[in-house]
Amino acid sequence: MKAKRIITIALAVLMTAMFVVSVSAAQLTDVDPNGKTEVTAHINGNEPGEVSYIITIPDVVDFGELNIPPDDASDYDKDVTYLVEATEIDGLDPATQQISVYVKDQDANVNDDQKFYIANKENASIKFNYDVYRATGDNVNLSTMVNADNMFTKGYFLTGFKNEGDTLEGTLRFHQKQLYGENIADIAGDYSGYMVFFSAIEDI
Amino acid sequence: MKENSNNEKSKKSTVIIIAAVIVIIVAVAAALYLSGVFSPKTEPANGVVGQITDNWDPGIEEPSSPKSGTQIPGYSKAEMNAGDTSLKLSVGNPKDNNVGFFASLALDDGTILYESELLKPGQGLTEVPLTKTLEKGTYNAKVIYRCVALDENNTPLNSAESGFTLIVN
Repeated sequence: MKAKRIITIALAVLMTAMFVVSVSAAQLTDVDPNGKTEVTAHINGNEPGEVSYIITIPDVVDFGELNIPPDDASDYDKDVTYLVEATEIDGLDPATQQISVYVKDQDANVNDDQKFYIANKENASIKFNYDVYRATGDNVNLSTMVNADNMFTKGYFLTGFKNEGDTLEGTLRFHQKQLYGENIADIAGDYSGYMVFFSAIEDI
Repeated sequence: MKENSNNEKSKKSTVIIIAAVIVIIVAVAAALYLSGVFSPKTEPANGVVGQITDNWDPGIEEPSSPKSGTQIPGYSKAEMNAGDTSLKLSVGNPKDNNVGFFASLALDDGTILYESELLKPGQGLTEVPLTKTLEKGTYNAKVIYRCVALDENNTPLNSAESGFTLIVN
């Protein structure tokens, strides 16, 4: 009798434990993979820690050879184009999400100097600024100037990608007028500038 | 005779009782484990935490025709348990790139959790060793990809930051 009672209790415990396990499994797999209810800006279906997308950014800021203009009557703009692309995307819902891309100068500070610069490689204190546009050709104007907008800590908003293969072709514009009146001996040399592209999945 | 019979019965009961107790213990332990009472320690993704391999796979289909420019991986989220000393996060340099990466993992407040050595194209790791543990919570984090030319000076190039949500359970 005693043994029978113990067996009965054991079976009851076993069945209770199995019930708890099956409920927990349903909660974890059918309702919320992480057992959490908060919804954040992430892609459902991607395993945490996996690569969710790949964007392609330009390697360098290269205006080539710059010239001191003969006068300051014009900006003597020198333009180079650049391309940013959503090369691969996995699982994004384009109806509600995008890959937001921001850009800033590597030394820009939201509370201080926010401009884009190229600096003399031998003497970094000699530097000149340039503008960034999210357009090319005839569409390069104040309304498409990236750095005319407000800058955030992560940079100026550049574009939002919703689909794989989306691209943004833009323009970097250097106003050579900045060089007018400068002594070539003082400013001659190679110049470099570095942009930082910040990307993240954001709800729209 | 009667005594032998009683002894046998007694032995049988003992065996049954012991078996039942074992069943109870196993059942309770299983229920507690699967309900999350014992938070499982994170297992290394590919054997060794922090090991950089030459055949890093971003796990996402790479372009069939390599594009000009630098490919930068981005993330949705990552998860770990409070007190963990590593994070499962696939950090690497896509094989079609022509530049090197110095990758680091940072929080929005500037805390640096990991810094890599130079990652050449095709190199990366899937589990990142952390310089400090984190408390439970949700953090804004980012992988900073500092891009450099593959020359002797590692000449700096444009760089990128990939932001994501870090969930600490």
